[in-house]
Amino acid sequence: MAQPASSQTNISRLSDLKDKVGHVPFIRRNSFVYGSLSLLVIYALFLLPSKGSPDTVDLGRIVIFCLLLLVWAFIIFTDELKPEKLKTIMVFSIFIIAGWLYYRYSTARWGEMGFLFFNLEMVQKAWPTLVEGFWTTLLLAICAAIMSTVIGLLLAIFRSFNNPVLNFFIIAYVDFFRAMPIIVLMMLIYYALPFMGIRLSAIVSGILALGLNSSAYVSEIFRAGFLSIKKGQIEASSALGLNPIQTMRFVILPQAFRVVIPPLVGNYVASAKDTALASSISIIELLKAGLSQKSLLANPSPLIFVTALYLVMFVPLTRFSGYLEKRMKESQRQVRL
Amino acid sequence: MFLRTSSRKGVKCKMNDTGAMIEVVDLHKRFKDLHVLKGISTSVKQSEVVAVMGPSGSGKSTFLRCMNRLEEPSSGHIYIEGIDILAPYIDINRVRTEIGMVFQSFNLFPHLTSIENIKLAPMSVRKISDQEATERGMALLDKVGLVDKAKVYPEQLSGGQQQRVAIARALAMQPQIMFFDEPTSALDPEMIGEVLDVMRNMAKEGMTMMVVSHEMGFIKEAADRILFLVDGLIVEDGTPDQIFNYSKNERTLEFLSKII
Repeated sequence: MAQPASSQTNISRLSDLKDKVGHVPFIRRNSFVYGSLSLLVIYALFLLPSKGSPDTVDLGRIVIFCLLLLVWAFIIFTDELKPEKLKTIMVFSIFIIAGWLYYRYSTARWGEMGFLFFNLEMVQKAWPTLVEGFWTTLLLAICAAIMSTVIGLLLAIFRSFNNPVLNFFIIAYVDFFRAMPIIVLMMLIYYALPFMGIRLSAIVSGILALGLNSSAYVSEIFRAGFLSIKKGQIEASSALGLNPIQTMRFVILPQAFRVVIPPLVGNYVASAKDTALASSISIIELLKAGLSQKSLLANPSPLIFVTALYLVMFVPLTRFSGYLEKRMKESQRQVRL
Repeated sequence: MFLRTSSRKGVKCKMNDTGAMIEVVDLHKRFKDLHVLKGISTSVKQSEVVAVMGPSGSGKSTFLRCMNRLEEPSSGHIYIEGIDILAPYIDINRVRTEIGMVFQSFNLFPHLTSIENIKLAPMSVRKISDQEATERGMALLDKVGLVDKAKVYPEQLSGGQQQRVAIARALAMQPQIMFFDEPTSALDPEMIGEVLDVMRNMAKEGMTMMVVSHEMGFIKEAADRILFLVDGLIVEDGTPDQIFNYSKNERTLEFLSKII
């Protein structure tokens, strides 16, 4: 009965795995495979062409090296017996190798990188226009958010009356503006409406297009919020003698707002990102400001700066809406318990 | 009395002066092809406590809900204090302020505290001041024994406490009639007592009550009459003593044998 533990562990690794997964592919069974593949990768590394723009044959060598590297990585990565730490290191080294390869063979003027992309002097020159663009973007985003909330909320309230004729028009509205690409809508409002005698300034057209598009989504969000309220709430409220308007104001809206806030914030963030489309109808918002200054100064630094600014603005906002959603789910769970 | 003000433009209300608080005449309710109430006629006097019993699906809840038009009756007449509440010129919200309703699932407003739940309707419908509503609300909370829970949200209350707040909320409108739709069915056994105590006190104070319930002890003690509903019809109507001890109706006896 008492078998020596060592003889058990000797067979252990592979036979255990066999018990677990049934068939173990040959390629994993033999450390020779790892060894020879590693050697091949190293051999391919030495065959890599020298620095500079590669010709066709050189390109082939680079591709073979990359493929070998990936196969080697894949085999290690799918091996349950390899430690997690090794896999992590491997993933990082692959990123580093990829970066190194790009640096070695691209035609980029690495020496002028600072001057071209991160040129603070150029950003300084472009600064007044960029600031102006920033305010325009903010104006677009805020006005569109307000407009979409008002229209969306009204549509959702009208929708809750369940009048078939009203519903038909609301559904048609929602379908139309959800299907319509924002940029097309902007072009229509700005370039086509003047032929019907409606002349709107670029900024108003931009706000209108963004707001109309977003209002369709907002109305659906509010509708979902209203639907999430239990029938008993409305019954209790009517039984107390509250009329439909009072029921909406004191019972439905306050409860619906709590449900609706996370998706609503998400929608505002999405809509704020779409303000970049307004550059297509000659509104000098952030992107357009960056682009025009790039052309004027013949230097992409302002554009890079604008990109960074977008990230700085929207990463926290998307994080925030994600946080709201998570908190919402947690509070719902608490109520259910 | 109270409803006469709701008749608009001098249209005369249909009156039915039998002196009864509630008078129901040939009430029918159909849900598409399902005939739930098949002609119910009864009357309830002032300060009377009427228990409505019957097997599930017999239309007890629908009957109660028809009487404040949470369900719209298909045909028939309902007179409350002699006034036909199904007439087109009746402002149903005005009628509902005089009828308190307590639900099986409490239906408290989860975004409001207990006292806010109670204050909401008096302040928004009756337009009384915040201070007065708070005073009255606290008095009602005292009556149901929950003064210390005034600033607590419903989710932090037990089922029995929630139902007692719901009763206080209904009472805050100072209704003349109270409807209870299975008020204790969703409660754990040890919480039923506290809710029934509150209801017993209300009965003693002379409130007109209609209670859908199967709490035998409560019905025996507090109810003046029992309506026994089967398949949308009243098959028996009598005092608890008559029904529990001397009933000859087969359907009633079968039901009673199951719940006792």
